[in-house]
Amino acid sequence: MSAPVRQSLEVAAGPEQSFTAGKFVIIDIGRHSVGIIRLRNGDLRAVLNLCPHKGAPICRGIVGGTWPPAMPDALRFDQDGEVLVCPWHGFEYDLQDGREMFREKPTRLRFFPVAVRDGTVYVTV
Amino acid sequence: MDMPTMAEQPVTDQLPGIVDCDVHPLFGDGIRSLYPYMPDAWRQRFLRKRAHLAGSGLTLRFAHPNGTVVRDDAKPEDGGPAGSSPHFVVRDHLDPHDISLALLNSLQSGSLCAVHASVDESIIIASAANDYYIDQWLPVDARLIYAPVVPSQDPIAAAAEIRRVGGHAQVAAIAVPQIAILLGNRYWWPIWQAACDMDLPVLLHVTGSEGVYNGAPMPAGGMPDTYIERYVTLGQGAEANLNSMIMNGLFERFPKLRFLFVEYGFVWPIPVMLRMDRLWRGLRHEVPWVKKSPIDYVNEHVWFTTQPIEEPRDPRDLERLVKMVGVNNLCFSTDYPHWDNDMPMQALRSLEKGDREQILRCNARNVLRLPRLGAVK
Repeated sequence: MSAPVRQSLEVAAGPEQSFTAGKFVIIDIGRHSVGIIRLRNGDLRAVLNLCPHKGAPICRGIVGGTWPPAMPDALRFDQDGEVLVCPWHGFEYDLQDGREMFREKPTRLRFFPVAVRDGTVYVTV
Repeated sequence: MDMPTMAEQPVTDQLPGIVDCDVHPLFGDGIRSLYPYMPDAWRQRFLRKRAHLAGSGLTLRFAHPNGTVVRDDAKPEDGGPAGSSPHFVVRDHLDPHDISLALLNSLQSGSLCAVHASVDESIIIASAANDYYIDQWLPVDARLIYAPVVPSQDPIAAAAEIRRVGGHAQVAAIAVPQIAILLGNRYWWPIWQAACDMDLPVLLHVTGSEGVYNGAPMPAGGMPDTYIERYVTLGQGAEANLNSMIMNGLFERFPKLRFLFVEYGFVWPIPVMLRMDRLWRGLRHEVPWVKKSPIDYVNEHVWFTTQPIEEPRDPRDLERLVKMVGVNNLCFSTDYPHWDNDMPMQALRSLEKGDREQILRCNARNVLRLPRLGAVK
């Protein structure tokens, strides 16, 4: 008996201009809840709306920056619009690469492929 | 006073031996023992106010239910109190138990310097007490090493005292009596800087003033009723201070700083470490000066003595607890001559032999400032 072949599914998520920097648009695709967001550099991310820590709807958390490791006299604010903070336990995730930030063995967000064709954003799950 | 320096001191012991990180000496005649080590004007002040009558004991509710914390069987032959004779300590404790180094930690000095004396008095008392032990105890046996007390109520004076006596070859740590200011607070920075400059770890131990005198650390939740109730919760202060050190980025500011928590036991750090790490993952940005997991800082900068060793109903559980706090971060201690001691012949028997030897003989050599010894097998 052969294993079932997983079929990928591409769906149109909406017109390109509906995705503004720093704000998630959350849609259901099949059995997945997916948050789509534009980063400051214009890139789009499609993120599984599920925190790898405890399963929170992470795309409903704060999108902003963070304060990287520094002593008080060198405090700075960085990566504005690229850090996702889980609404449940506050874990910070880098929306550039999906990694839990400043962690030696980080957990990771699940990203889905995003494409833009003819002014429409498509996500493949 | 003239003191032998590190360079002048011969190596104390080429053989591996047990390091006891908590032995309590006592002034032979209370504060009067310190008078020869004070300037005359201060000696006259203490005589006039009859300082020897100013009890530094506990309130009635915290008095030991058997009358004293020192062992009756540890009294020297001359009738003095247990812990008052260095010769007897060597004969009664070091020799029979194969102890190669015993760290002297004076609780009398600690309580006087924490809150019992005024700030200026405490500076004089700390200096006199340190000279007393350096003069009366350390020449008796090279296995005796010492943690000088510092006057915590004045961090600048405390730093000066560390620099004054910290070069002595048998000084292996500094004892910092705790007051009601958490140790991550910048109040303490002069002391931590001096400790780093002298390559000395900081020894933390209760002074007996906790929960008794204004200005001393207070127990959480309210006032305990009895000695046993207070004893069980003495670790609360240690928990608060470990948390404070980490969350204030102390080890980023002072990368050479080392702490040795003494006589708090060693199970309490486990939930503190786990909780600090867990919350740091979510709230790190509030304290970005905490640049890595709190557990990593503890592993690198903090040690814990074993006594009083917790005794799980299933002895095998102790091994898991030891692994969780870190085999390399535990240092053996007896608490001689106090009643609640752990003696080397019976301590930590349920551990693997290698782990036990590491704790009894090796780890203290990584935290205390000791003369370089031969490798321990």
